[in-house]
Amino acid sequence: AVTDSPITHGRRRLRAVVVGSGPSGFYTAKYLTSSVNKRIAADRETATSSSSSSTSSSSWPFSGIDIDILERLPTPYGLVRYGVAPDHPEVKNVENDFAAVPGNTHSRAHGGGTVSYFGNVDVGRHVSLSTLSALYDVVVLAYGCQSDRGLTIPGLDLRGVLTARQFVNWYNGHPEFGYVADIVREALWDRDGNNAGDVDDADNGAISKAKAVVIGNGNVALDCARILAKGRRGLKDTDVPSSVLDVLGDGVEKVVVVGRRGHVQGAFTIKELRELTKLQKEGYDVSFRVRQEELDMGMTEASLQELQLASGRPKMRIDALLREAAATTEEEGEGDHEAPTKTIELRLLMNPIRIESNNNRNNPRVHHVIFERTQLQGEPGKQLSVGTGQYEKISADLVILSVGYKGSPLEGMNENMFDSQRGIVVNNQGKVCGDNNLFVVGWIKRSPTGIIGSNIMDAKETVASIMKYIDSNPQNLLALHEDSDDDLSKGSRGLIRHLEANNVKYVTWDQFLQIDQAERDRDRLRNDVQPREKFLSVDEMLACLQSTC
Amino acid sequence: IHSARQFSSKETVTITYVDPSGDEHPVEAEVGQHLLDVAHAKNIELEGACGGELACSTCHLIFDKDVYDTLPPKSDEEEDMLDLAFELTETSRLGCQIRVTKEFDGIKVRIPNDGY
Ligand SMILES: Cc1cc2nc3c(=O)[nH]c(=O)nc-3n(C[C@H](O)[C@H](O)[C@H](O)COP(=O)(O)OP(=O)(O)OC[C@H]3O[C@@H](n4cnc5c(N)ncnc54)[C@H](O)[C@@H]3O)c2cc1C
Ligand code: FES
Repeated sequence: AVTDSPITHGRRRLRAVVVGSGPSGFYTAKYLTSSVNKRIAADRETATSSSSSSTSSSSWPFSGIDIDILERLPTPYGLVRYGVAPDHPEVKNVENDFAAVPGNTHSRAHGGGTVSYFGNVDVGRHVSLSTLSALYDVVVLAYGCQSDRGLTIPGLDLRGVLTARQFVNWYNGHPEFGYVADIVREALWDRDGNNAGDVDDADNGAISKAKAVVIGNGNVALDCARILAKGRRGLKDTDVPSSVLDVLGDGVEKVVVVGRRGHVQGAFTIKELRELTKLQKEGYDVSFRVRQEELDMGMTEASLQELQLASGRPKMRIDALLREAAATTEEEGEGDHEAPTKTIELRLLMNPIRIESNNNRNNPRVHHVIFERTQLQGEPGKQLSVGTGQYEKISADLVILSVGYKGSPLEGMNENMFDSQRGIVVNNQGKVCGDNNLFVVGWIKRSPTGIIGSNIMDAKETVASIMKYIDSNPQNLLALHEDSDDDLSKGSRGLIRHLEANNVKYVTWDQFLQIDQAERDRDRLRNDVQPREKFLSVDEMLACLQSTC
Repeated sequence: IHSARQFSSKETVTITYVDPSGDEHPVEAEVGQHLLDVAHAKNIELEGACGGELACSTCHLIFDKDVYDTLPPKSDEEEDMLDLAFELTETSRLGCQIRVTKEFDGIKVRIPNDGY
């Protein structure tokens, strides 16, 4: 047993760093702080209640934890800011919870934790992973998925084809995706490439006659479709940047969402589907269509069995909702007076084969997508969509591929740490495999699935592994950092020294709050209810800190 | 005296939150408040990511059957979010949708066990 170790005399604070400030990073900071605090409180309790006066060897060698969150962009919140659809502001409310994490700097004397924020710090470029490993007791990778899952069909490089990640980042005002505007503008308003006439229509609030095809089976595909269909009038009260509304005009007349699988296997959730069915009623001038026969085709014997499972409840409700929508679609067909101008159609059991161009040598662009009808085969839960040899051509001026995000390794990460097949950091319950002080959480740990809430349990698992590591390796932690709390070369102070030496202009939490405030300045807003008008470049954000903006 | 108390907005009952590790936290809850807000006011670890707007399901709570049966019916929207809740049970509800009533005095509500 460790009896007379120096750790029992001078307790020190733990130092952790989190790479990435999305939901998984914030939840980890929150639960790691509370786990350490609980641990210290429990320790204190046993110390006071135990009658033996010996400076118990069981007493924990740490007096609290300080956590630094590092973020590549000046602004925090990851996909909550740059992924979640702007017309779902209630989902973005979670930012308020996260904002309370750095704010919550309890007094150190009470074993509290401090959480600090360093924005505009790109790990791998501004500071290496190995430097972080040396500066901190614990490094948590929470950097999400920064690339696209590949779909290998011909025609992906045609002008007018985007991935959902590009499109979503653009309509959310991500500073690195401004270039998408031109591609969408051409697709919606200048398909002939003559730059004449209808380009201005976007500004005049016209509805684009373009056809958009969104390929995908999940909620992100539905987000893209909704944003395209709603257009300016439907989005003016959201935080979609004004420059994006200028490109979307009053939306796109026809958006088709095409899924490879059937509705029982799709990754859509019912809330998002229900929302589509209500667009017309809610005044967005968009009808929703789905075909009865495609719902029937998806109802194989195996699908029926899938519905009967305990996990089938949500699917059963989706089935009922879509059947009702299909019935309404048919009614509408029978001579409606005020048919909506725009439609979103959901097509199912269609596999994209290739994207083809307009064969215009001067202005080659996407023209249509060839799909193959699929049918489901196999056991319940393991059904595959298999080609039938029947093909269908769907016209498209804009194609958005929504087949998933994908993780990539961090600069300087050693090869066997990363599973490039799955796009995740190789880990065991959040501990990065190997002899290191690295941990991982969120999408880059478990692959890009799940909702914001899924990151809570995920973060708790990683935090449990961190606590286990701290408990089983106090010697290691000490060997790494035989220092006192005042050591200038470790933790935040070491990081700041490193960043300053390398001329990195990091953004503090207070500075972020300044940016946040400036984005919500009334003078920037197009109306009284728009939540914010985002800055669209890092330079603009940083300039706002220089001046009184 | 009793009827006077009924009309006071500060009328409280005692309810017990059972956390994922099984520990019980009895608290005084004001009648009319949502169970999510009560938890937050009393520092109970229950997330409420969307701030009670029926957009997250992180405020998931589990009731005893007899209490569950007395709760007001679910809206479609609550059902939709419950579909995404982790560890869904037959007696699950969303804490941001349930208001404390006088009849809640002495009840227990469970925060689902997520394994940690
Ligand atoms: C389009 C879209 C819509 C969604 N809508 C919803 C919804 O409505 N409801 C819901 O519950 N969930 C939604 N989700 C899911 C939710 O966003 C994710 O579950 C969650 O964001 C994952 O969190 P994360 O922390 O793992 O990753 P992220 O949120 O991606 O955060 C990662 C962070 O790390 C930063 N980073 C990356 N590289 C570095 C580096 N080298 N150095 C420093 N920082 C770095 C990134 O800039 C980012 O801020 C949506 C997802 C997408 C893609
Ligand atoms: S707090 Fe989000 S659904 Fe209850």
